[in-house]
Amino acid sequence: MKSRIFRATVSVAIFMVISCIAVIMGVLYTYFDKQYTNELSQEAVYIARGVEMQGMDYLEGLNNKSHRVTWIDSDGTVLYDNAADPAQMDNHSDRVEFKEAVESSVGRSVRYSNTLSEKTIYYALRLADGSVIRVSATQHSIWIILLGMTRPLLVVLFAAFIISAVITYNVSKRIVKPLNEIDLEHPENAVSYDEITPLLKRIAHQNREISKNMRELKRQREEFSTITENMSEGFLVVDNLAKILSHNQSALNLLGIKNNVENKNVLELNRSESFCKAIDLALNGKHNEQIMKMEEKTYHLLANPVHQDSKVIGAVIIILDVSEKEERESFRREFTANVSHELKTPLTTISGTAEIMKNGLIKPEDIPHFAENIYKEAQRLITLVGDILRLSKMDENSFTSEKVNVNLQETAKRAAQAVLQEAKNRNISVNLLTESCTVSGIPSILEEIAFNLCDNAVKYNKEGGRVDITLVKKGGNAVFSVTDTGIGIPYDEQERVFERFYRVDKSHSKEIGGTGLGLSIVKHGAAIHDAKISMQSTLGKGTTVTIVFKCVD
Amino acid sequence: MSIRSHFDDELSYLNTELIKMGALCERAVTSALDVYFTHDKSRAAVANKLEKEIDAKERDIEDLCMKLILRQQPVAGDLRLISSAIKMISDMERIGDQAQDIADIAVNLENMDFENKVHIKAMSQTALKMVTKSVDSFVQKDSALAEEVINLDDEVDSGFDKIKDELIKAVSEDKERSKDYIDILMIAKYIERIGDHAVNIAEWVEYSLTGTHRKGEI
Repeated sequence: MKSRIFRATVSVAIFMVISCIAVIMGVLYTYFDKQYTNELSQEAVYIARGVEMQGMDYLEGLNNKSHRVTWIDSDGTVLYDNAADPAQMDNHSDRVEFKEAVESSVGRSVRYSNTLSEKTIYYALRLADGSVIRVSATQHSIWIILLGMTRPLLVVLFAAFIISAVITYNVSKRIVKPLNEIDLEHPENAVSYDEITPLLKRIAHQNREISKNMRELKRQREEFSTITENMSEGFLVVDNLAKILSHNQSALNLLGIKNNVENKNVLELNRSESFCKAIDLALNGKHNEQIMKMEEKTYHLLANPVHQDSKVIGAVIIILDVSEKEERESFRREFTANVSHELKTPLTTISGTAEIMKNGLIKPEDIPHFAENIYKEAQRLITLVGDILRLSKMDENSFTSEKVNVNLQETAKRAAQAVLQEAKNRNISVNLLTESCTVSGIPSILEEIAFNLCDNAVKYNKEGGRVDITLVKKGGNAVFSVTDTGIGIPYDEQERVFERFYRVDKSHSKEIGGTGLGLSIVKHGAAIHDAKISMQSTLGKGTTVTIVFKCVD
Repeated sequence: MSIRSHFDDELSYLNTELIKMGALCERAVTSALDVYFTHDKSRAAVANKLEKEIDAKERDIEDLCMKLILRQQPVAGDLRLISSAIKMISDMERIGDQAQDIADIAVNLENMDFENKVHIKAMSQTALKMVTKSVDSFVQKDSALAEEVINLDDEVDSGFDKIKDELIKAVSEDKERSKDYIDILMIAKYIERIGDHAVNIAEWVEYSLTGTHRKGEI
């Protein structure tokens, strides 16, 4: 803007200077021209008078260097000339001024030299005898005069340029300054030219529009990021070059990424086969779902292409952690398989025995023995179904009974009592060392836990071994532990004995009995009571299972 | 689109392709080792297929690098990235070849657990870890990770020496199966070579990041 103001002003100044010079030159030149011609005519009159009175002598005695004086006879022959030899000169009868003078006593003409650099003004006067006196003067043409004035002219122009430059610089600065000082945030308050007030109003209006839109956008973005940041599913948006445009924290957590990933390639997050495939397919416009395994986790990937004008411009990938679901499912599958197997074994025996009896292949005296078999297996089935029901009840956490205060000492004593007979049969001593501890719990489940532990301690004991049941208070906790001198559990299987149907002895031996659910029930029961369970066992030496409850007293 | 941003797109494409090729190598090595350790013969076919994919990828990336060098005349960091890419892919390709070789030998080994006599597992896990980490170091542009890979190589080398001793003992005890032990020696050697290639990759990653190669000025 400054340079435009500057250019405009400078060019106006220069134009003004030049046009002034042109006008002045034009006017002055015509004025001087006239003056000059007058001077010439007066001189011609004087000389004509002189010649008429004194003839040639006057001319001879005339000392005029500034003008050329010529005396031409009436026939055109040059009689005298003060600048050239008359004898050498042509006949002048064809000259314009001569002809005019002959006709109307006065003649004049102007002739330019060949180069136009000079002009000669002629003034001719007819004398009484018919001859003609001509006075002429040579003058520079206007161009030559102008040429001569070039230097002062340039000086003037230069001065005009400088002065106008300085003035424009300051003026334009002063004009622009208030414009630059307008506060664009609040243009309506600005003190400025009236001419731009409408513009400022429009800017103010636009400012309001923009800030409104910005607020709206910000709100939307915050809404979106709140949603994505708070969802546990990983969320990734990539462009068609697989660069990450947007992501949430869960995605990084699930994929185990710690550094900043904005604008990086999505394959830098993970490059497993299923992940690559999901991205590739999605960027080729195909919706797809993949299962991705990462160490112990299983993820479900949902990849969707993003279309615009029927072109794929990116993809959205959702990562779901399905590890638990997967684990649960495999657990359930295993459980179902185990249950059906466990149920089938006694049923086969029952059905087989019954079939033999039905066909009358058995002697009557053997019937009690077979009936005993059927009874035993049926009992086993009942225990098994009972255990499964109890477990599934614990799974569902559907307890109708509220937690009450239970004295664990009583529970432990009852459990010891329950296994006493069996222990005696196998010559196992049961030692009870208990204190009175009150815990908050469900009596039937606590009973179940204590009984299962004692039962196991006897069942998996050696002939003549011992079982120690202790219950002591330790720093607000009730520590219940059952130690046996039995067969023990191999170290690497100690974790697994709490699994359903898991048995160290893979033959599912019926000799010992048991359903493989006992410890599983203990574990679940303990979990319901927020009790900690631990196990120490040495193969061939014995096992100690300890459960730590929180005391209420 | 300006020339530079077009160039950037091509560089990021090169980056992606390198990551993909690295991932293919990891998969090839994993499947080859699976053939040996789990006797799952179907994994041998996978290793073979991956090897071909790796070869194709190598050619693609090579073309891309040449195109970038000729058309864009990259300088400084970009040039280093491209030139180290050219070097890296040839190492990756070798890893693919060796994985295939391992798979080919292992598929012909009889179903027998050699693990109690020859302890390849630890060494192969280390080598696999080196491959993964070398690709990771490229992906994350992490020279510390690259250095880790380079240091891990000693573990693989000493593992190989140990296996050699174990094999000598095994052959003298069980002459019947000496052919199998020779095969296992080959497998061990290939695993050791995979480790070496991983080191090379890590060195080129280091070069592309720092501009200095530990095997001398370039």
